[in-house]
Amino acid sequence: MTQQTPVRPLGGAEGGALIDEDWEAMRFRVHRSAYRDPGVFRDEIAKIWGHTWLYLGHETEIPNAGDFKTRTLGGRPLIFCRDSAGEVKVFLNACTHRGTILCRHNEGNTKFFQCFYHAWAFSNSGDLAALPGDESYPDDPGFRESMRLRQVPRLQIHEGFVFIAFTPDVPDLLTHLGPAAHYMSLTAKIGQHGMQTLPGVQLYSVKGNWKLAVENAMDGYHFAPTHNTFVGYLRETGFAVTDDDQYAYDLGGGHGLLVLTGHNGRIGMVWEPRFGDEEKARTVAKRNEMAARLGPELAAEIADASRILFVFPNLLLFDLEALTIRQLEPVAPDRTDVRAWQFVETGEPESVRALRIKTMVSFVGPGGLATPDDIEAYEAVQRGIVATADSADPAHDWSDMSRGMANEKQGNQGRSIDEGAMRSFWRHWADRVGVATAVAGDPPADPGAPGPSTVFAAGSTATAGSAAPTTSGKE
Amino acid sequence: MSPTTSGAVLNVGTREVTRAQVEDFLYREAQLLDEWRLDEWFTMFEPDGRMEVPTTDWAGWDATTAGFFVCDDYDLIRARVKRLKSRKAHAENPHSRTHRMVSNVILLEAGAETVWISANFLIHRYRDGGAYTYVGRYEHVLKVDDDGLRFRVRRSIPVMESMDPGARLSFIL
Ligand code: FES
Ligand SMILES: [Fe+2]
Repeated sequence: MTQQTPVRPLGGAEGGALIDEDWEAMRFRVHRSAYRDPGVFRDEIAKIWGHTWLYLGHETEIPNAGDFKTRTLGGRPLIFCRDSAGEVKVFLNACTHRGTILCRHNEGNTKFFQCFYHAWAFSNSGDLAALPGDESYPDDPGFRESMRLRQVPRLQIHEGFVFIAFTPDVPDLLTHLGPAAHYMSLTAKIGQHGMQTLPGVQLYSVKGNWKLAVENAMDGYHFAPTHNTFVGYLRETGFAVTDDDQYAYDLGGGHGLLVLTGHNGRIGMVWEPRFGDEEKARTVAKRNEMAARLGPELAAEIADASRILFVFPNLLLFDLEALTIRQLEPVAPDRTDVRAWQFVETGEPESVRALRIKTMVSFVGPGGLATPDDIEAYEAVQRGIVATADSADPAHDWSDMSRGMANEKQGNQGRSIDEGAMRSFWRHWADRVGVATAVAGDPPADPGAPGPSTVFAAGSTATAGSAAPTTSGKE
Repeated sequence: MSPTTSGAVLNVGTREVTRAQVEDFLYREAQLLDEWRLDEWFTMFEPDGRMEVPTTDWAGWDATTAGFFVCDDYDLIRARVKRLKSRKAHAENPHSRTHRMVSNVILLEAGAETVWISANFLIHRYRDGGAYTYVGRYEHVLKVDDDGLRFRVRRSIPVMESMDPGARLSFIL
């Protein structure tokens, strides 16, 4: 028996463990203050958002020189742009003079960002380009240099996915991503001519803690009860949804993966009746094209199963009927802003594009037939967990995530309908935030393969290129 | 737009469509939706009618070039109605209370068998002790028949910058 931290008297997050893991009782609990407490939230922003790689956006959002988007990440306003030389740049969106928000548009194309307050202007590569009345400033090139726009300390791009960090002391992006990089590469390889995001971004906000959105995405257990009406719709369109053959993987570093076979059809990959006959023929052609371009094994790995990938802490990649990129931005303990992009094959026929958008938005997003029920779930948790706060019986102020521990203990692959992916997320979270974890009993000896074993076994030779994806972009 | 129209009347083929008729159509729709009479509401669509809600960054894109909040074909509208009537539509169980105001109705243009119209809407929604406001405009294509008007394209365009906290589109916007 190992016991790293004494199990706290139940409850009381005051200096106590927020995670209570017991491999004798097969119990894993998260203290509910983790979703409520402003101090925990401040620590998350400082220790996670301030100190690790964050997903900012996709390169195809700014395809042309001069394109820009503004976006808040970790609470900091940013300019995400492509400079006139074509390089991706990310600046703090604040004038170096007095801190005014420099760019007040959501998107556009420009060579210069001009501050309206005293009219300083900066080139899209960050140089201070115009300084009205500059004769009153020291005649010193170092002065202008010191007033360049502030770039984020780290910027790296993996397969078009742009990540930034607000501190320089983070590991290389690929080291951070670990096996998650491979699954991002899989989605990036779908299109013969590449992949791109579309305009029409779903921007919405949820009255719930950001971690509830992560849990929900890694939680196959809720699918049937929460999405009963969506499952009913699928059944009526001629598709049987099953819970069989659905697994969860801990990719390390807080990243998680669900691999869902039989979850749904996949546009261009696995046909189902609601996609229509035209798509049936195209699916055969698309599968052949992928097999010829990528080899049969990699093509099958990409196409055969749906996947939900979580890249710690703020990126979710839903590779389902079609692809959606979802980004989480914590705003307050009980509020999360969400941004979601449709991610599509570049150059695909208009009819396929239309089918993809219709199908995907019928499921995901605040107007879909499924996501609103997920949002209802996180918001309902957020409302409900105040009931036990500071209660007479602190033992009640915990959420349970022990489903599947016995199976995990036996060394079996975790199912998506268990809670193993949530447990690995929470362990990593506790580690990052520096929160005490109480562990009793002996955890499973072998945490298991970091992904479907067939993938890495077969992939080590056949898909060497994808297993070691490249990064590009500037540090 | 035909230069002969006054703005209050459009000629669609041999039929005349007045702004009052369009207003009645929109008011009736608002009433059916506020009262959750969704089966009756569904009959306001022509077969093959569709319903769209673009995202808040919308710049005129259609649903073959951009993400949307809603782009339902007729089958999906039917599925949506069925879902919303179910006790298992958790996001709308219990139902939101909604209160719709429709105004600024404009007859934009007549087609061979359709009329294009626009209107402003203001919807208040209440649920779980929360109050949410949705502001936007409709841009609809209505099929004109002997027995009245039907939706060919029903498009609700939110003018908010994003869906506010809690303001998901689990009801019909
Ligand atoms: S604050 Fe921007 S120019 Fe003065
Ligand atoms: Fe869900």
